Amino acid sequence: MTGKPASLLEVRDLTATFHRDGAPSRVVNGISFDIAPGEAVGFVGESGSGKSVTARAVMRLAPEGSSIEWGGRIRFQGQELLSLTEREMRDVRGRRIAMVFQDPMASLNPVMSVGAQIDDMLVRHTGVSTRAARKRTVELLGLVGIRDPAIRADDFPHQFSGGMRQRVLIAISVSCQPDLLIADEPTTALDVTVQAQILRLLMRLRRELGMALMLITHDFGVIAGMVERVYVMHRGDIVESGEVDTLFAAPKHAYTQALLAAVPRIESTRRPA
Amino acid sequence: MLRMILVRLALTVPILFGVSIIAFGLMRALPGDFVLAAAGTTAVSDEVLAVTRRNLGLDRPIWEQYGIWLGNALAGDLGTSFATKKSVVSELLPRLAVTAELTLMAGLLAMLMGATTGLASARLRGRTDWVVRGLNSLLLAVPNFVVATLIVLLFGLYFPTIGIFNYVPFARDPLGNIGSLLLPALSLALTVSVTVSENTRAAVLEVSSQDYVMVARAKGLLARTILGNYLVKNALTPVITVTGLQLAALLGGSILIETIFTIPGMGQYLFDSVSRRDYPVIQAIVLVSSTIVLLMNVLVDIAYARVDARVSYD
Repeated sequence: MTGKPASLLEVRDLTATFHRDGAPSRVVNGISFDIAPGEAVGFVGESGSGKSVTARAVMRLAPEGSSIEWGGRIRFQGQELLSLTEREMRDVRGRRIAMVFQDPMASLNPVMSVGAQIDDMLVRHTGVSTRAARKRTVELLGLVGIRDPAIRADDFPHQFSGGMRQRVLIAISVSCQPDLLIADEPTTALDVTVQAQILRLLMRLRRELGMALMLITHDFGVIAGMVERVYVMHRGDIVESGEVDTLFAAPKHAYTQALLAAVPRIESTRRPA
Repeated sequence: MLRMILVRLALTVPILFGVSIIAFGLMRALPGDFVLAAAGTTAVSDEVLAVTRRNLGLDRPIWEQYGIWLGNALAGDLGTSFATKKSVVSELLPRLAVTAELTLMAGLLAMLMGATTGLASARLRGRTDWVVRGLNSLLLAVPNFVVATLIVLLFGLYFPTIGIFNYVPFARDPLGNIGSLLLPALSLALTVSVTVSENTRAAVLEVSSQDYVMVARAKGLLARTILGNYLVKNALTPVITVTGLQLAALLGGSILIETIFTIPGMGQYLFDSVSRRDYPVIQAIVLVSSTIVLLMNVLVDIAYARVDARVSYD
């Protein structure tokens, strides 16, 4: 790779087809989008719109026990991800593209200490010893706002609240300083007050580490103030895209208008959609 | 943790007390007694029978017999065999060692076979899954004494050079001893391995669909790290439970297997003693086996806490 690519992630005509019981069902119908280095991009849509599958396509992660077929092109830093072998893809996952998932209560291994779950990733991608990794793990736990990180690193997931677990998962995802962080509904399972803290944390880390952010949500309220551009997804298609301010001010597509109207507002009375 | 172990150990005392009553009562509820069994078909006068019973203490009220036996047992004396006139402890210990070895070997084999097939079944799916589950159903349907008999027949008819009835004592030839117990242990292990296999398969499938496995994949971890630290570690708890509980099945199964393969273990000793109504021996074996099963359960509980940090007994 020579020079800085204009686009960090360049997706063209992406399709995703599930194969269950022989009957294929297409959930993403050939979508195209770009993410520039360091840029924050939102993907909004209701459940079933294909946004999570799109996110997982970039990681090439199929749900366990299902067979999924990707089509189209996914170029990341000039490299075609869909043509990589599984072994090569494992070097991309976590190291260059990392992901934060929806449900922090279920996303940590219950029988490993949280520290060990960051250690193993550091050992895997940076080749340091477990002992050296632990030093960095403690720094990372401190970075995401865990108090007494050196002590807490030896605690197990069940000793943490939902918000704290999501912080741990964020620490895991940024541990190898990825160029792209995918956050798939990172606050959906959390209390409203905790949601704001987690979003602020993601914003701060993105700024400090210079990562690009792909934020997936069904909630326009989460998008506001977090991202620069938005793609609106509906039934496997991107129906509208643009600068977040423009889109908020003048949504063109009827579905976008409906989604925006679904966000409860305190300052204004309800208006017809 | 230490408190839990002590509490669990203390709880085994009342259980063993109950077991001792049942063992004592059940034996005496069986028709006939040692004296009649020993007389067999020989015509013996009632006077002779009465004298023999008095000598063995069988003429006393049953609660008194129980009291004497319990008192001695608490002092570590499990009585004297009616048949051999030797102390039960001295006769039982070497046999217990043989049975323990057989059960341990069978347990290890069952865990090894069960865990491997269960894991392969859950991970590889497809044809492997199909074959493993088919074999499991077959093995579950066939009792282990039938398998043992088939093994005896197979080796007896086609490989007579491999002596299947030549039990070699450990002290004489350790390797030969293990070799001579291998086939009996295998036939004892098969049924239990099915239970372990099916439970391993279910546990691994359950764990595979958990979010944290997806997270592990998203971290780019190597397949073997995910398998060891994420899948197997989490699937271990249910597998430990069933394996621990199956120990009772192994002990029970060893009675039949030892009889079929003529291994001088506790099982064969029990079998002979029941036919002879040799009460002290039977009671001792029931008590010792129950103690082993109870201790195993405590060990299983300890293993839980070691494997899963969420399990706390405080």
